[in-house]
Amino acid sequence: MQKGVEDKGKYNFRNNITIDWCPGCGDFGIVSAVTQALSNMKMDPDDVVAVSGIGCSGKTPHYLNIAGVHTLHGRAIPYAVGVKLSNPNLNVLVMGGDGDLLSIGAGHFVGEGRRNSGVKVILYNNSVYGLTKGQAAPTLPLGEKVKSLARPNIMGKINPITLAMASGYSFVARAFSSEIKQLSYIIERAIKHEGSAVIEVLQPCPTYNDVNTLDWYRQRVYKLEDDKSWDPVVNKKEEDEEKFDTGYRKSLEWGDHIPIGIFYENNTIPSYTNRLAGIVPEYLKYPPALQEVADKDGYTIVDPIKTFSEKDVE
Amino acid sequence: MQETDINLLVGGPQGGGIDSAANMISMAFSLAGYNIYGIREFHSNIKGRHSYIHFRIMHERPKSLKYPVDIMVALDPDTLFEHMFDVAKGSKVVYDSAFNTFNLKNARMITSDTMGRIQDELAEKNLSFDVKGVLDYFKSTGIDVIAIPFDKLINENVHDGPANRYYNTLGAGTTLALLGLDEEHADDGIKFAFKKKPKVVESNIKVIRAAYDYVEKSPLKVATLPTYPAIPRMLLTGNDATALGKLMGGLRFQTYYPITPASDESTLLESHEDMKFLQNADKIVNKAGLVVVQCEDELSAINMANGAALTGTRSATATSGPGFSLMAEGIGYAGMTEIPVVITFYQRGGPSTGLPTRNGQADLLFALNTGHGEFPKMVISSGDMEECIYDGMKSLNYAQRYQMPVIHLIDKTLANTMDLVPEIDVKKVKIVKYNENTNHENFKRYSLDTENGISPYGVFGKDIFWMTGDEHDELGHVTEDSAMRDKMMEKRMQKLVTADREIPLEDKAVLYGDENADITYVTWGSQKSLLIDTISELKKQGISANLLYLRMFEPFPAEYVAKVLKNSHLIIDVESNMTGQAAKVIRMFTGINIENFILKYNGRHMTLDEVLKSTKNIMEKKTALEVLQEGS
Ligand SMILES: Cc1ncc(C[n+]2csc(CCOP(=O)(O)OP(=O)(O)O)c2C)c(N)n1
Ligand code: SF4
Ligand SMILES: [Mg+2]
Repeated sequence: MQKGVEDKGKYNFRNNITIDWCPGCGDFGIVSAVTQALSNMKMDPDDVVAVSGIGCSGKTPHYLNIAGVHTLHGRAIPYAVGVKLSNPNLNVLVMGGDGDLLSIGAGHFVGEGRRNSGVKVILYNNSVYGLTKGQAAPTLPLGEKVKSLARPNIMGKINPITLAMASGYSFVARAFSSEIKQLSYIIERAIKHEGSAVIEVLQPCPTYNDVNTLDWYRQRVYKLEDDKSWDPVVNKKEEDEEKFDTGYRKSLEWGDHIPIGIFYENNTIPSYTNRLAGIVPEYLKYPPALQEVADKDGYTIVDPIKTFSEKDVE
Repeated sequence: MQETDINLLVGGPQGGGIDSAANMISMAFSLAGYNIYGIREFHSNIKGRHSYIHFRIMHERPKSLKYPVDIMVALDPDTLFEHMFDVAKGSKVVYDSAFNTFNLKNARMITSDTMGRIQDELAEKNLSFDVKGVLDYFKSTGIDVIAIPFDKLINENVHDGPANRYYNTLGAGTTLALLGLDEEHADDGIKFAFKKKPKVVESNIKVIRAAYDYVEKSPLKVATLPTYPAIPRMLLTGNDATALGKLMGGLRFQTYYPITPASDESTLLESHEDMKFLQNADKIVNKAGLVVVQCEDELSAINMANGAALTGTRSATATSGPGFSLMAEGIGYAGMTEIPVVITFYQRGGPSTGLPTRNGQADLLFALNTGHGEFPKMVISSGDMEECIYDGMKSLNYAQRYQMPVIHLIDKTLANTMDLVPEIDVKKVKIVKYNENTNHENFKRYSLDTENGISPYGVFGKDIFWMTGDEHDELGHVTEDSAMRDKMMEKRMQKLVTADREIPLEDKAVLYGDENADITYVTWGSQKSLLIDTISELKKQGISANLLYLRMFEPFPAEYVAKVLKNSHLIIDVESNMTGQAAKVIRMFTGINIENFILKYNGRHMTLDEVLKSTKNIMEKKTALEVLQEGS
């Protein structure tokens, strides 16, 4: 604990930077849920890192009192993975817009599912490109016309949950920015989960999305866990096929009723960091970030001839 | 006695064993105390199309290649046609007598353009479009053609597997015998090449015996070459040398997306994630491994390497033109947010996918102008194996010291050059660490309280700070304040001034040869050693020449370059591109306009003979621009 915070639970994860989101923006709820989850977990602020892309959503790390990197449009996941794989001791949160993660960054979104390196992706779904003034995001349904569009949306939408599941993420959930308690709980669960997580957060954008408003969502969302028989957790490989199938189907429900909660959690898939530990010697104990690369006189410690012995002609 | 100087070409179908033939020849000569220098040329193809290795074997370490070659070994009929122009009077061509009946029209892997050129030449000489025609072409030029009955020799001597399994060994064996290397060393070469498989060694040695026996009994027998004590060396390519240098330089995280000619570096590192340590490394320090990540694309590769640097890890990526194009935004981000990251940039023939497996040096201006906006970055270049190793180490040091992206340029020729490196000095380059932060309370990652522009480096896991590609304040939060903007721009760019001040001249530009010379060559990259050889050749002919060799383009040693060039007489810029990019850089930084050029952009390596010839043409004022065309 280096921040001089004796009582971890008291650490203020919100800093004093002025938030410049529009009044009524769903992003406020996400910040509250993140800080609540971190406080609740008594997280050491040095142990958690926020990584964002570009967009209204991308500003989030500046408002949190933890190390944060506001990266390029679409590239939050590669940065997050670089941080995570070089220092697997860190908890890495990714904050990105639906445009950021599912359009310009879609390749990384899918790629990370395959890797499953253990980063937690919070996907801000407002169905529009907020910061560039309301164009259609890849989550906006075909034919829908939000107010800033010149004509109804001419493209179909991606379902972030099915895409995440198909890509291989081992923890997939949906939340609503006004259900802060549930979102904060899901974030905690995701952080505790070893593999990578996607949490889609339905988020009103009162400025540009006049269809999927706060009230629109309020009338439609319901919690998966309210059904006591709902159990999305896979602890044995044999359970996977059925639970994957159930979660996947459930996520297709949209319209008058929109389910929120955890769709799928698979604890049987080893994370990338654990896979690496089987290859790179002492990886978890001495990951790249914690290694010394020079001897006490400042010279290399690597023996080039022994390391590349197959190139040695003798 | 004339010094041994053997110029050799081994050609065959891609994937058809020319690599192992070349390996056996190289190993046999290395173990006999010789040095070898070779360049591998191949098509963007996995199996079937023509590929070859162009070698030179000397006791001294060779630095360049020459045409025509002394011996050409054809492991397929295509080689005979493809290299018609690479042999001359006095050369020997070795081939399988089974090719005698081969018709050119069956050489389906020869591209139609090349086929057209071959046919034109044969037609002009009234020769038939088949192996007989090309052999007549050789004979009429005074070339020795040597047909070896491959199948017969193999079938009479080994019975383990099909004959074609041994074509490469027989090709290598015949070559070694024809050159006069004693058979014992040929056997050593086989043992080395097939180290781990005694049974394979046994049958291949029988093939070597057959080859030697055949040559001994024929009129082809030559005097035995001298042998020398063999010192231990490492047989490295530019890819290998750079990988090795980066690892020595503290690299612990490398990302890549497969691309020729860059990925050989990453895949080599991938197979050495469990590095070995020097004896004196203390126990705590020597617990380590390297992480290599194959990414989903180059956007991911650069940005993931940037991300890893945020935990204090020394990280890098390696790519080639198309991938580098995708990386531009990420490199700009590293410049703006002051991330130490290394991009090893292997240049190949562009534009677009261009000549994917051929040489090029046309990305210098692109590297210098990577990304939008103005941000500090370093651009360095290597020209031989030793530079690949030590620049690999230095690139990481520069990144750490100046907290900026470092672009390390290497060309395809160098990446695929094989060279025997006698010594690796583990104490030549000291490892430089970033400017460590000591104040963990209210840490100002971009502190303006610095004269050299270098602020304390922040490490995720130890420090709380923010980063953004937007203009930012000392804490790393977004700002659009006009005064803060100016201060941050100036602080970032100041680091280049600091780098220029701190880095010694020999790492930026070097003058080889006498200070006062009639000719001054200017070059960078893989032409370095070739031009050093050119200077010695010219000296033998009574012509004085020197070489201004450039190693760093940002920061650029403008003052020194101007000083050298102002004292020069005939300046010739030598580059593997069409527009003389280094000459443009020189003009931009010094105002000096170079007017004579030897350029090559057909994707093949430059050779000594063509540079000498072009130099003469320029000296005689026949032309100011020589475009080199050798190479198949
Ligand atoms: C390479 C690149 N292209 C375009 C932009 C412009 N841009 C900034 S934000 C944005 C869209 C943001 O939408 P989304 O990711 O959904 O985030 P939101 O603002 O809705 O939170 C775009 C296209 C950019 N910054 N970089
Ligand atoms: S534009 Fe929309 S998403 Fe952006 S801050 Fe305003 S309300 Fe929020
Ligand atoms: Mg959006």
